[in-house]
Amino acid sequence: MKIALFIPCLVNQMMPDVAIATLELLEKLGHQVILPEGQTCCGQPMTNSGCFDAARSTTLKLLNAFKGVECDAIVCPAASCLVAAKENFHEFDSSPEAQAVIDKLYELTEFLHDIAPIPVFRKPFAHKISLQLSCHGIRMLSLATPSEQMGPRFNKVEAVLAKIAGIEILYPDRRDECCGFGGTFAVDEGAVSAKMGKDKAQAHAATGAKYVVGFDPSCLLHLDGMIRRQQLPIEIRHIAQVLNAAL
Amino acid sequence: MAYQHNHGAVGSQVHAHKADIFCRDETRVDWHSKALWTLREKRDRAAGSIPEWEQLRQLGSDIKLHTLTNLAQYLEIFEQNCLANGIKVHWARDGAEHNRIVHDILSSHKVKKLVKSKSMLTEECHLNPYLEQRGIEVIDTDLGERIIQLAKMPPSHIVVPAIHMKKEEVGDLFHEKLGTKAGASDPLYLTRAARAHLRQQFLSADAAMTGVNMAIADKGAVVVCTNEGNADMGANLPKLQLHSMGIDKVVPDVDSAAVLLRTLARNATGQPVTTYSAFYRGPQPEGEMHIIIVDNGRTEMLKDKILAESLKCIRCGGCLNTCPVYRRSGGYSYNYTIPGPIGIAVGAKLDDTNSIAWACTLCGSCTYICPTKVPLDKIIFHHRRLKAEAGQLPYGKNGYMPLVGKFMASPTMLNCSMSMARTALRILPGSLLKPFSGAWGKYRELPVAPNSSFEAWFKQHRSL
Amino acid sequence: MSSKLEILNALKLSALMNHPMPSIEVAPRLENLVGQFETNLNAVAGTLHKEGGIKALQAKVDELIAQGLQVISLVEGVTANREMPPTAHELKDIDYAVIPGEIGVAENGAIWVNNKNLGHRVTPFICENLILALPTNKIVPTLHQAAKEITLASGEFGVFIAGPSKTADIEQALVVGAHGACSSNVYLL
Repeated sequence: MKIALFIPCLVNQMMPDVAIATLELLEKLGHQVILPEGQTCCGQPMTNSGCFDAARSTTLKLLNAFKGVECDAIVCPAASCLVAAKENFHEFDSSPEAQAVIDKLYELTEFLHDIAPIPVFRKPFAHKISLQLSCHGIRMLSLATPSEQMGPRFNKVEAVLAKIAGIEILYPDRRDECCGFGGTFAVDEGAVSAKMGKDKAQAHAATGAKYVVGFDPSCLLHLDGMIRRQQLPIEIRHIAQVLNAAL
Repeated sequence: MAYQHNHGAVGSQVHAHKADIFCRDETRVDWHSKALWTLREKRDRAAGSIPEWEQLRQLGSDIKLHTLTNLAQYLEIFEQNCLANGIKVHWARDGAEHNRIVHDILSSHKVKKLVKSKSMLTEECHLNPYLEQRGIEVIDTDLGERIIQLAKMPPSHIVVPAIHMKKEEVGDLFHEKLGTKAGASDPLYLTRAARAHLRQQFLSADAAMTGVNMAIADKGAVVVCTNEGNADMGANLPKLQLHSMGIDKVVPDVDSAAVLLRTLARNATGQPVTTYSAFYRGPQPEGEMHIIIVDNGRTEMLKDKILAESLKCIRCGGCLNTCPVYRRSGGYSYNYTIPGPIGIAVGAKLDDTNSIAWACTLCGSCTYICPTKVPLDKIIFHHRRLKAEAGQLPYGKNGYMPLVGKFMASPTMLNCSMSMARTALRILPGSLLKPFSGAWGKYRELPVAPNSSFEAWFKQHRSL
Repeated sequence: MSSKLEILNALKLSALMNHPMPSIEVAPRLENLVGQFETNLNAVAGTLHKEGGIKALQAKVDELIAQGLQVISLVEGVTANREMPPTAHELKDIDYAVIPGEIGVAENGAIWVNNKNLGHRVTPFICENLILALPTNKIVPTLHQAAKEITLASGEFGVFIAGPSKTADIEQALVVGAHGACSSNVYLL
């Protein structure tokens, strides 16, 4: 497949390894990967504070970067940015071209589970990992059944990782409680954000896992800051990095 | 009441400031958060034991939505049937009118002492101080409510009002106010003392008041749910009983009430049902029964399609128990009678600090836990938009958001400044950088800076 | 304009689109209703007496009276030592009230009682301890079935009672016996 990468501003500027791993793993799976130019922020920092006017310019620029780009899918390794992009594109542009872009948008895990499953992993990843089930992914993108919901359960994240030889998937207590990043929440409500982050980081470390593995870079960046402040014996990895290491 | 809105000093009343103070006692925060999470765990076990749980949530949502979209008809049917049962019905457009009506009824019966069971609506209307200022003694009879009444504090949770208090603190309070032994903190001993004390109040009361969990339209009856039996001790001893309800409490019939009674207690505390679910369909022999139907902003909420769904709420408190922010900031930080997600949903418009709508990470747990599928995260998000449109943003956002928007829309500006930031992170010592990183660096280590952006790497390694 | 009219008029400005009433069809779990009822009654701190019927109940009442306790019975065929007094307040020293239950709900251990069988409405709340007599064939699976069978005529009062009164308002510690009865025993007839 021909895949266009949507690399959100946070990943582009501060966590390029996540994007590199995403690119490499998709290429290893035989896909052709392109990076449309001119990608700007999805507008989430503004719209999360109700400021839609302030978000308009950057959102439309991002949308335009993908309009008319020939590809089978647009893949993003950041769940919250993907959700915001879909919502904000829809908010500012109701044209068929915009809808065509929205229809091609996939979060990475979602893409690897629903559209292009990984047939075989060549290398093991013999480590214990503690899964970070981030809120946008599970409650807005259906990557796994949220713990509040009763009835049949599914977990796309675990399913994508489970076939890797040697991997041991663990879950922290309060398995999908929010990590406390919340975008500008981390700055507006510093004390509560930090306490949530500390609790979550400690819960991950308490599993005995070597890595916290998640699909949302913003959560991982926040947890990384807390882990190193608390000097906990665990490191963050994005799911793309784990998958890439096993391919 | 000791608790007052402080209109003069908005900065100290914003949620973040109060939360910051609450968070300073970390051991206490852990205790508070755990107490509430335990209720969440009990809820999960109870909900998980019902295979049709998600079906019940959908039914609850549909029943409530149907009723709300036909509310005028159902209210009139309800009133008609109440009157046919010998129940007197009153209508109040707001809290002030509610209080006047209640006072008129009580004073015309020369009531000196009123026993009252839990009603968040009467808290909303600030009924207690109104009656007390007019010479009527009000005794809150729910144990948690009585504790906070004696402590002169408002409730910090809509179902377990004293959850923020340790048993030693309750023991000290009871020693001072009820004469229990000094230093005694055993919950059984303290509860028995409260039982004896409140029993005297029930037996000597001139009138009783309760809230309403459900108002059944086709029967002209109100349903009152308690674990303690305080509502029914009150309503069935003195001959005068009053019940206050918001217009949103109506349900069409007993079958609808049954759906909600199956989810209410399970979602609140994990019990299959409250000890008592009482159906009042008429006054006692030689008694009088009054129902006061209250608007107080509810018709206003119905004018907004998104905010309207807040009125599906059955006040179970489940959203408070699961909310990671409420658990770590407490029920006194929301500048409104009701805290937590539902408090933000129904109170954000009235919030003069404009901050409670941002006391949330939009995690969505509340939405998924709600037994009537109130889309709480969507409603809170909508409140942010309404505040932004009205120019009522907190934390300086009015000033900086438009600038951030421009900045983010300019790849040149972003690339330049982030390149500088990465360099700074790599070469400058943390001690120099942290003070400038604001809230981020106060609590976290600063990120390890990469050498370049992904775009730059891609140009170097992949572009032709 | 009256407040009623003002409120009803304001409702015309509601933004919600008409939403139909759902059909409430929930499949009940019919197996071992007595077993389910007992499990759930225990979970709400009540006790079930399955054997012996009305004879066992009378024997219990006789035992309580022999201990000098004040017992009132509203169950036909069970005699005790107190009559229904003229005022509700005079029930305040009742140690045990024996009342007839109409419907039992297996999913939560609740029993519906109607004021026609209570004397004063406060009887099941003011007594120190409660005993309920319930016909075994009147246990239904869930509140959905109970909703269709309970009697509540115009002017009446009824209540689902699930175990003794309780509270967890002091540091979440469950205490049985708040303002209502401190114990609840159910005899199946």
